[in-house]
Amino acid sequence: MRPIIGITTYVMPATWGGWNDLPTVLVPRDYAEAVTLAGGRAVLLPPDDRDADVLRMLDGLLLSGGPDISPRWYGQEPGRHTVTHPERDEAELLLLEAALDRDLPVLGVCRGMQLLVAAHGGTLHQHLPDVLGHERHRVAPAVYSEHDAVFVPGSRIAGLMGGDVTINCFHHQGVADAGKLTVTGRAEDGLPEAVEDPDRRFLLGVQWHPEVSRDVRLFGALVQAAAERS
Amino acid sequence: MRRPLIGLTAYAQHVHFGRNDVMAGMLPMTYVRAVHVTGGRAVLITPDDPGTDVLETLDGIVFTGGGDVGPGHWGAEPHPETEVDEVRDAAEIMLMRAALEQDLPVLGVCRGHQVMAVATGGSLHQHLPDLIGHDRHRAAVGTDPLAAGAGDYGRHDVVTADHSLAHDLFGRHTTVNSFHHQAVADPGRCVATGWCPDDRVVEIIEHPGRTFALGVQWHPERTSDLRVFAALVAAAMNRRKVAAAA
Repeated sequence: MRPIIGITTYVMPATWGGWNDLPTVLVPRDYAEAVTLAGGRAVLLPPDDRDADVLRMLDGLLLSGGPDISPRWYGQEPGRHTVTHPERDEAELLLLEAALDRDLPVLGVCRGMQLLVAAHGGTLHQHLPDVLGHERHRVAPAVYSEHDAVFVPGSRIAGLMGGDVTINCFHHQGVADAGKLTVTGRAEDGLPEAVEDPDRRFLLGVQWHPEVSRDVRLFGALVQAAAERS
Repeated sequence: MRRPLIGLTAYAQHVHFGRNDVMAGMLPMTYVRAVHVTGGRAVLITPDDPGTDVLETLDGIVFTGGGDVGPGHWGAEPHPETEVDEVRDAAEIMLMRAALEQDLPVLGVCRGHQVMAVATGGSLHQHLPDLIGHDRHRAAVGTDPLAAGAGDYGRHDVVTADHSLAHDLFGRHTTVNSFHHQAVADPGRCVATGWCPDDRVVEIIEHPGRTFALGVQWHPERTSDLRVFAALVAAAMNRRKVAAAA
């Protein structure tokens, strides 16, 4: 039996096939395809903050990208560019805490990485152009910007990425302080691009979007860690 | 008692939301709410996957609504009005057969009810107006035929057979919302236990050899009448209890 990877989702008013603004559970198909290609079985997790019951069927957790997390999780007031989705925050944090209790393998992508940081006592920059003075992490709507990252030798992410260090970014928030996590990768401007907890079986956050290229280096590592646990 | 885990078949669809236009794995929230309100925990099962191993971790499964089932699955040629998603057909027919084989509690809704018939050797009418001379089983997308003041287009009664699960759930008759242009012709290994009294279109099927396998042609998840979801969740809960005691 393949390891089962749960992928967190949005609930959004969506328009498709004659329906207008119908509340819909959704997540870009890229994530499920990346898990499938890496040998896992993807299931999508609708937000639900009642309990973390669903973890009993999962071997790994994938925190997907999406809107900004509420700054209250790291002790700040929302800035004017911050767009939040509080019910998703609560559902994901509940799952994440229960997953960490069980040492379930966790991969956080973009927003998912930022959630990992907030859950480990860190803080975010709410709008990078205000801090960095440039928009190279989000150049235009729906356009991923490519840059090269620098990874800490000996880290998990350095081992997974090998010689190809090109990453594709689309975000306007970023990690200011990684809290109890270790920053193991940075962009050329110094912004954290990867965080991990080396004491855990598998806890990795990346600020970029490896699902778009179905990057088997990262998804394969998640699935393998999940398989070892299952 | 922990909540039973109920899989919902999801689908891949181009959706537009906010400023985004993406190919998404998705499902209307109404299905999720129906499962959560009746005491289950919903997880979405993506169609883009060839295996059935995920069923081992579920306590029940809902085959959801959507487009037409490909007529090649019962050896017919496609009608001009038939629109097929072959990836979803293949995945759901495989999942349906495996779920029934394992006696996992199964609920089929609209397309899911049709998949239940086809996966067990049955067949569909591809376009009801050709059969019954009208299109009154297909309410306009985005409407609620059960709303106060709505016309009766897309709303009709269903009568049930005596001594059936359908009769236990609904009594002699119930009133439903209707959004389909295909319908079950031959229920395969299942048995038809509910019909529209006006035109004899099959509205409910059951698998007699299974603990809980029920298909309904309408959309209970878009209504406040969630009896079929409650029955599925109860069957899933029982299955967990039995498994825990074994």
